[in-house]
Amino acid sequence: MAPKLDKSLIGSEFDHTEFPPVTAEHIREYAAAALETNPRHLTANDAELVAPPTYVVSLRGRHFMPANLQTVLNIGRRGFDAGKDIECGVPVRVGDALTATSTVHDIYEKTGRSGSMVFVVLRTKITNQRGESVAVIDQKMMLR
Amino acid sequence: MILDLHTHSEASEDSRAPVETYLKWLQRKRAEVPIDGLVLTEHRQWDPHADYRALEDKYEFLILRGAEVETDYGHVLVYGVNKDITRHFDFTNVRLSAQELIPAVTDMGGIALPCHPGRPTVGLCAHYDGKPPIEGVIAVEALNGGSRRGENERVQELIDRYGYKTFGGSDSHLVSFIGICATEFDRDIRSIDDLVTELREGVYRPVDFRANLAKRAAS
Repeated sequence: MAPKLDKSLIGSEFDHTEFPPVTAEHIREYAAAALETNPRHLTANDAELVAPPTYVVSLRGRHFMPANLQTVLNIGRRGFDAGKDIECGVPVRVGDALTATSTVHDIYEKTGRSGSMVFVVLRTKITNQRGESVAVIDQKMMLR
Repeated sequence: MILDLHTHSEASEDSRAPVETYLKWLQRKRAEVPIDGLVLTEHRQWDPHADYRALEDKYEFLILRGAEVETDYGHVLVYGVNKDITRHFDFTNVRLSAQELIPAVTDMGGIALPCHPGRPTVGLCAHYDGKPPIEGVIAVEALNGGSRRGENERVQELIDRYGYKTFGGSDSHLVSFIGICATEFDRDIRSIDDLVTELREGVYRPVDFRANLAKRAAS
C-alpha cells in the first residue's frame, strides 16, 4: 500500500516578493496583450488608469513552489497546471507598490483514469502599500 | 420518480457548478430533462452542516446528499451517510478498502454502489479482471454521463455475470450536464432514507436524456 501523503508543508510560506511600483506602461501593455477594449485599462490618463482584474497573474515571485515540495511529497517532476482561482480585491492603479506572499494552501490526492495524482494548491495573497487585499490567487498544480 | 444520483457542485474541487444554477437550468429544461431531483455526491467529503432545504422549496426539486469516495476497486457512491460511517471511514483516503466499505456501509444503514464501472483504473471492471468480486454489491452505475465511448458498454458483461441492479447518473461537473443521465424509480422518494431503501429493495433503471437535448438543440 502506498504511504500516506505527507501534508506537513500545508501552511508553509515559500515566497515573499515586493514588486517595484506599477507603471502605466505595464498596465497598458498587459491590457493590450489580454485584448482588453475597455478604455479604463488602455487610454485613460494615468490617474484614472486601472489594471484589468487578471493583471495580478502577470506578477512573478522569486519561487513558484517550495524547493523541497517534490522531496517531501515523494513525487516526480511530471505535472501540469490544473487551473487557478482569483478572488479580486481593490483595483491596481499606477504607482501601487504590490507585495505577494505565497504559501502552500492545500495538498490532496485523487484517482482518475490515468491513476493517482497529487494536487498542490499554492495560495498567493497580493496586497498594496495600504495593506489592502488586491487579490488572492489559488494556483492548482497536478504532480505525479 | 426520476433522480440524478451522481452530481458534483462547486463544493467539489473540480466543479464550478453552483447548486442553485443547476436548479435554474433544470427549470428551463423540464421538457428535455424531466427529473424530479438530484443527489449531490461531492468528491471525498461529507459536510454534515450542508442544508439545501431553502433551495428545494424555492425550485421544487428534491435535493439529497451522498458522497463519492475512492477505493482499491475504483470510485464508489455512498448514500445515507451518517456519523457511524464517517467515524469508520476517512473519505479523504483515496485507498479505502472496497471489500470493507461496501458491506460496512450497509450494516451502518446506508448503501455504497460502484460508479462508472467501465472506466479504466477507477472502475470496477478493471479491478474484477484481477481481483475477487466484492461482497455485498447491490447495483452499479451502468449509465454514467461522463463516460467515454465504450466505457458504459463495457459494464453489460459485469451485470450479466453478477446480476447487479443498474442505475444512472450524470456525473455532472458543469451546469449543462445536470440530469443528462438519471435513474427512474417505480416508487416515490422523499428522503435519503427512502432512497437507501429503494436502492436496496426497489425497482429502478437508468434513463438517458441526451437524445432529447440533442433533438432540441437541432430543432
